[in-house]
Amino acid sequence: MADFIFATVQYDSGDWDSAPLVPANVIDSIARYTSIDVQPTGVIVPLGSRDLFRYPLAYLTGHLPVRFSEPERTTLREYCARGGLLFVDDHNHDIDGEFHRTAWEEIARAVGPLKDLPNDHALYRAFFEFEDGPPTTSHELNGWGDNLVHKHLQCVMNGDRIAVLYSSKDYSSEWNYHPDNKRFLSVDNTRFSVNLVAYALTR
Amino acid sequence: MTAGGLNAHGRRAAGLSAVRRIARARRSLVAAAVARALLLAVLAALLVLATGLVVDTFVGLPLEARRWLVPLALAVGAAALARTALGPVRAAVRATDESVALWFETRLPSLRYALVTSVDARYAGTVPALERIADEAPLEREIASASRTALMRPALAVGAIALGLLLMPPMAMGRITAPTAGDALGRMRTDARAAADPLATIVAHVTPPAYAGMDAVAYDEPSTIAALVGSRVRIEGRGTGVRAVVGGTTGSGASSAGATDITRADTLDAREADGAWSVTLPFPPVARAVRLLGPARDRVLVLDPIADTVPLVQLELPVRDSVLRAAQGRVPLRATVRDDHGLARAAFEYIVSTGAGETFTFRNGTVGEQRFGRGARTATLEGVLVLDTLGLKGGDLIHVRAVGADRNDVTGPGLGVSETRTLRIARADEYDSVSVDPMPPTEPEKNAMSQRMILQMTEELVARQPRISEATLTDESRRIAREQVRLRKRVGEVVFQRLGEDGGEHSHFAGDGHEHGTEGPLNPDQILAAAEAASNAGATRMLESEGDESPIVAINRPLLEAYNHMWRAATELETARPHQAIPWMERAIEALQRARAAERIYLRGRPPRVVVDVAKVRGTGKDTGSSSEREARAPADPARAERLARFDVALGIVQRDASAAADSLLLLRLTVPEDDAAAARALDAAASQLRSGGDVTEALARARRALAGAPVRRSTLGPWGR
Repeated sequence: MADFIFATVQYDSGDWDSAPLVPANVIDSIARYTSIDVQPTGVIVPLGSRDLFRYPLAYLTGHLPVRFSEPERTTLREYCARGGLLFVDDHNHDIDGEFHRTAWEEIARAVGPLKDLPNDHALYRAFFEFEDGPPTTSHELNGWGDNLVHKHLQCVMNGDRIAVLYSSKDYSSEWNYHPDNKRFLSVDNTRFSVNLVAYALTR
Repeated sequence: MTAGGLNAHGRRAAGLSAVRRIARARRSLVAAAVARALLLAVLAALLVLATGLVVDTFVGLPLEARRWLVPLALAVGAAALARTALGPVRAAVRATDESVALWFETRLPSLRYALVTSVDARYAGTVPALERIADEAPLEREIASASRTALMRPALAVGAIALGLLLMPPMAMGRITAPTAGDALGRMRTDARAAADPLATIVAHVTPPAYAGMDAVAYDEPSTIAALVGSRVRIEGRGTGVRAVVGGTTGSGASSAGATDITRADTLDAREADGAWSVTLPFPPVARAVRLLGPARDRVLVLDPIADTVPLVQLELPVRDSVLRAAQGRVPLRATVRDDHGLARAAFEYIVSTGAGETFTFRNGTVGEQRFGRGARTATLEGVLVLDTLGLKGGDLIHVRAVGADRNDVTGPGLGVSETRTLRIARADEYDSVSVDPMPPTEPEKNAMSQRMILQMTEELVARQPRISEATLTDESRRIAREQVRLRKRVGEVVFQRLGEDGGEHSHFAGDGHEHGTEGPLNPDQILAAAEAASNAGATRMLESEGDESPIVAINRPLLEAYNHMWRAATELETARPHQAIPWMERAIEALQRARAAERIYLRGRPPRVVVDVAKVRGTGKDTGSSSEREARAPADPARAERLARFDVALGIVQRDASAAADSLLLLRLTVPEDDAAAARALDAAASQLRSGGDVTEALARARRALAGAPVRRSTLGPWGR
């Protein structure tokens, strides 16, 4: 079986590379907590490229308005239909922000409308147990975004499987540090990323 | 039946008509049937009790089963009564005079239907000869005969069984009719079993210390006895030749595994009387094993002391530490005191400390002392601290706490204390300086809310509006309005600071609503005017057309707009129209977003390439340089590993000698740390199960799991988790 490769989605509009250290941090957590064979570096995959289909989990983030081109939209639609999981995180953590508004529109146009993911969903027990749903981040109340603690993640389902997972919790800021610095944390805040990978690989 | 016989009975019945005699005969027959039904019901109930007694003699019914025997006997008796009485009563109700007369005719053929004819209304009084024969018929004798026949056998059976039960030993009967804990020795054939093994059946009676006011309790076949320290426990059984070793192991071929860590032993000879032995012990302050040494075998039981907790005292008044401006007035004191077995007394204690630097003097005293009678477990203590009488001066400290003592005269009395409150008398010069004690901000001050939060609160209020009263709506709307005003002021401060250019100084820009040439900082009214101007379309055009718009202006303009929208929203909320405030709030949010967008700078660049060393993260990389030979680490908890090893040894003798295995488990239980109550309980249960027989697999598995401890799930990285 091929190694798991963490894929960051590159799209034409916006700043897709706003959280460059997230992939390394997620890879570190996969190696730290699981026995999943994982590649030591992630890859960057254009959203319009069919290479996207090689990766079961893809990560998309940014601050700026998101406008997908038609090829990007088509690829995303097919990616989800084939069983891929796109994790979209609002780096602004602002439901009035440009990324949020435009990303919701684009996702709705390409795949379908987002709705709240129940906090007892299997995703929250896929590896670590998160009894209260998505873990909060230290950025949600930092005064920059909407200053709300979001109770739910949103999703578009493909049957009983999550096709698109959307977060307003700003995991992109939360996880955007060099993995060597994890040793300074009393609680590893990237554990939820392991659930994401475990869910994408096993469901 | 002879004619003479007929005449004799007829004479006894003279004076009654045939119809009345038949009616009386019917009642007598019903009474006999009911009596028979009652006898049968009693017989059934007695049979249940007798069966229980026999089974208990040979098998030994558990207490719970015996408690159901009397209700079962009553239920069986009631069922039998219903079944046997229902038919005769129903027949009696349905029976007619003719059918009763026919019953007599079948038993007295010599009547030749004279009785039936005489009770028939159609022929009554028409044939005097037949009437005479009927009048002389011996109906009463026939009824007596039939009743005797019906009642004799059940009565004899009832009498025989009742006699048999009465001849049983009272203690054996007591186990059936009034079962209680501690009646194991009353079981029949106990003496026979005790002759071979005096430890086959033991009973323990525990008498709690007097201060606890608790009833004595008894245990049948105990493995572990839990009781208050100071209780007295009497262990007794049938037979002779028993000794007890408290907290030790001696002699007589101890086959139990791992019983070597009980070091101090006190040997006691059992007192013997009337073919029974008993050992009386005070309950020890720490868990001890009692090893009973009999001629046939040994038996272990554990005395597990229960500590008497000290009273729980909660000081309710004063509610917090405080500084008093003057040493006068009365400080009310209140506390609640609770104890598990009984309170003796409670009071408030105070200490006054006077002085400064290295010289302090202390005075103490008590206030509001109460003493309680037997049985008082909770109390509310009230008192007053009169400051004028304490001779206080500025800078003095008064420490107040409540104390409560229980009635424990064995290991106590236990003394419980509340937390201490400190009252300080302010010094006179304290109010002439800026030296004040720091204290945290009040809760409302700490909770600054964002505009989005305020909007959500308002939306929730609007949703609830149809279901709440006008007054509630107004209150809640005004509460949100206060939050809105607070946020507006914060926005105003930001704008003010920026316009003032570094704290107090101010600058001017086109459309800021501030007349050029006017000196002095902007006041709130001026800011409001600026906000109105900024949100005005004409002003916006002017701003844009001025051409001298600086980035500061670009940022401040949406902030001023937001300030203005917040003002409108607060106004609507103040007048209890939350639904009309929502559009203004949304506009304020939109303006704030624009201000944020104007301030944000997103850095773009080539992301650094980070390669995760997966092998290093997993600790599986190759060693570099020379490596020394490695050895397996010692168990994290060697004491636990030792207990597990002892448990495994005990498991090895379960098949061979279940009693010895139970003893081993009980001795092992004594080594379990106090904070591992689950393991102690599981070992007790396994030992009890071993003693009572049956399948012990589940109990032993549970005990093994409890001894091993639950796996610890760590949600954080370890200290060396890199």
